[in-house]
Amino acid sequence: MAEPIIAFDDVWKKFRRGEHHDSLRDLIPSLAKRLTSRKREQPLDADEFWVLRNVSFEVKPGKAMGIIGPNGAGKSTALKVLTRILKPTRGQIRVRGRVGALIELAAGFHPDLTGRENIFLQGAIMGMRRDAIRRRFDEIVDFAGIPDFIDTPVKRYSSGMNARLGFAIAAHLDPEVLLIDEVLAVGDFNFQQKCFARLEQFRRAGIPIAFVSHNMQAIATLCDRILLLRPGQDPIVGEVPTVLAEYASSKGALADSRVRVHHVSLSEVVSGAEVHGPVATMTRLNLDAEIEANQDLVRCGLLIQVVRSDGLVIFTGMSTVDGLPEFDLFTGERLKARVAFQANVLRGTYVINLQLVDKLRQWREAVINGAASFVVSETTRIAGCAELSPTYELAVTRPTLSAVTRTR
Amino acid sequence: MMTLTDDLKEMFSEQMHYRELLYEMTRRDLLIRYKQTIMGFGWAVFMPLVNTAVFSVIFTRVAPIDTDVPYPLFAYCGLLTWNFTASSLRTAVSSLTSNAGLVTKIYFPREIFPFSAMLVALVDLLVGSSVLLALMAWYRVPPSKFALLLPVVVAVHVMFTAAVALFVAMANLFYRDVKYIFEVAITLWMFATSVLYPVRTMGGRLGSLLMLNPMTAIIDGYRDVIFGRSAPDWTSLGVTAAVSIVALLWAWIVFHRSEFEFAERI
Repeated sequence: MAEPIIAFDDVWKKFRRGEHHDSLRDLIPSLAKRLTSRKREQPLDADEFWVLRNVSFEVKPGKAMGIIGPNGAGKSTALKVLTRILKPTRGQIRVRGRVGALIELAAGFHPDLTGRENIFLQGAIMGMRRDAIRRRFDEIVDFAGIPDFIDTPVKRYSSGMNARLGFAIAAHLDPEVLLIDEVLAVGDFNFQQKCFARLEQFRRAGIPIAFVSHNMQAIATLCDRILLLRPGQDPIVGEVPTVLAEYASSKGALADSRVRVHHVSLSEVVSGAEVHGPVATMTRLNLDAEIEANQDLVRCGLLIQVVRSDGLVIFTGMSTVDGLPEFDLFTGERLKARVAFQANVLRGTYVINLQLVDKLRQWREAVINGAASFVVSETTRIAGCAELSPTYELAVTRPTLSAVTRTR
Repeated sequence: MMTLTDDLKEMFSEQMHYRELLYEMTRRDLLIRYKQTIMGFGWAVFMPLVNTAVFSVIFTRVAPIDTDVPYPLFAYCGLLTWNFTASSLRTAVSSLTSNAGLVTKIYFPREIFPFSAMLVALVDLLVGSSVLLALMAWYRVPPSKFALLLPVVVAVHVMFTAAVALFVAMANLFYRDVKYIFEVAITLWMFATSVLYPVRTMGGRLGSLLMLNPMTAIIDGYRDVIFGRSAPDWTSLGVTAAVSIVALLWAWIVFHRSEFEFAERI
């Protein structure tokens, strides 16, 4: 028996824009068209586009592949092709083993049925056997944390309860291959932790995982490699920090209309080299920016904010608070700024936002979101967000002989 | 390129693998019916009974017609068996489009939707048969000696209905007009079938044209094996059986081969 794997081999998938054939009226022209153009592998029509292009990757047992990309890049389509809901236009897909898909976890729920009835229904939809569901029923209810409501119709559930029950059922499938589409965003913090632990457990059991998410922190924690899908471009497959860095740098700044960003760069202080790939923890970095005002901005300070990809604000600092005088930036004038700082943060993707703020807070701050970004690669810390550089002093004291005999 | 035998093998193994899902989907629909209505399965009996009463007045008082068994028995048997087809198809026609969430998100054989619609209708048929037995006792009509052949007629009926159910479910997914055409067609079809009057004795060009309708052969088959005194019409039943098998295989293979387009085209 070969080991379970997921493999994409040069997969392409074409979609069409706009409305097409929804009524019988369109049938005749389309049939006529099909008869006249007999070519199979025709290039794109005007209203068609490639949602997946040239996608190739493989996931081996016990490995997890993160799938990331902006909205509309084809992440969910890739998973749908994997689950055989969609057929690729070109290319081969191999999935060996029973597929468990954590996609739309509550799709099969019927609002009028009770939690108990829905567990059996949804379980069957996900391909579970009835006796397997019965055997694990208590575990599912316990995992979802809704023992008191199991005989209540699902329409009376809160949306959190609904989602938790959905995940609980999926978490008790016995898959050989696991596909996950952005389902960790359910429930409260504790439940999310529980879900994450469950996925780790699957992975350690040797199950290959394809994991779609916008949560880069979750991707970095769970996955070994990343597939970055880009609309209109070939995808990138590679190691986690490299691809995360590529993705972070590709997004570009989003500036307020009152300012124009001429130049932003991030470089290492020591080597002077511009940052492209991942950097090590504690690296000193220089952020250089050149900003032109489209409108008079008086009595300004520069605010710098560092945000981790999951939204955690790592740092917010203000030039005026750090002792620099405020400045005026009139229309057409340019601000050249250099901010030097130390990246004493742990592994993750970080985005730098800049703001021009007036001291008296009389005007709305001019915001430049995503001015720059960097990825920290580090494998020495178990978890966390900041590098505290601890030093240890450890001494082992042994009980004296008399003390030992006394305790006996 | 997939060959026909590969397709058939896959279709069969998928149905085996997901047989519990078919059961769960049917159970879901029956449970919901029970939960939301006071009469529950009573409705399965109620509609054909009302129709039987109405048409009994018409065809015994207003325009009397000649039937082998008392007219109410004739009509109830026709309506009950016709209802299996009509309600299977009525649910099946929108079964894929009304479950769009499942069709676009989770993979399982989509045949489950029309098939579970049929199983629900089959339960109704069983429930309604008890009333048929009661009516037979009331009119003192003994069961025919051919009653043992009933499963054959049921099998032909189920196969034929399954073929049409797969076809309309799929057609409505691609072209929403089908649902509206269906509503008209099902009404016309009922009057073109020997549900309320015997088509067999009609004669003429119209009569022989209507005899081509497989549903007439099936419903006449039911009456023949339930209360007929002579053997059923083997030729028409045999032809209908052959047509049903071919139609079912054809519809199922077409359905199966276009399944992967469902999520994109729904």
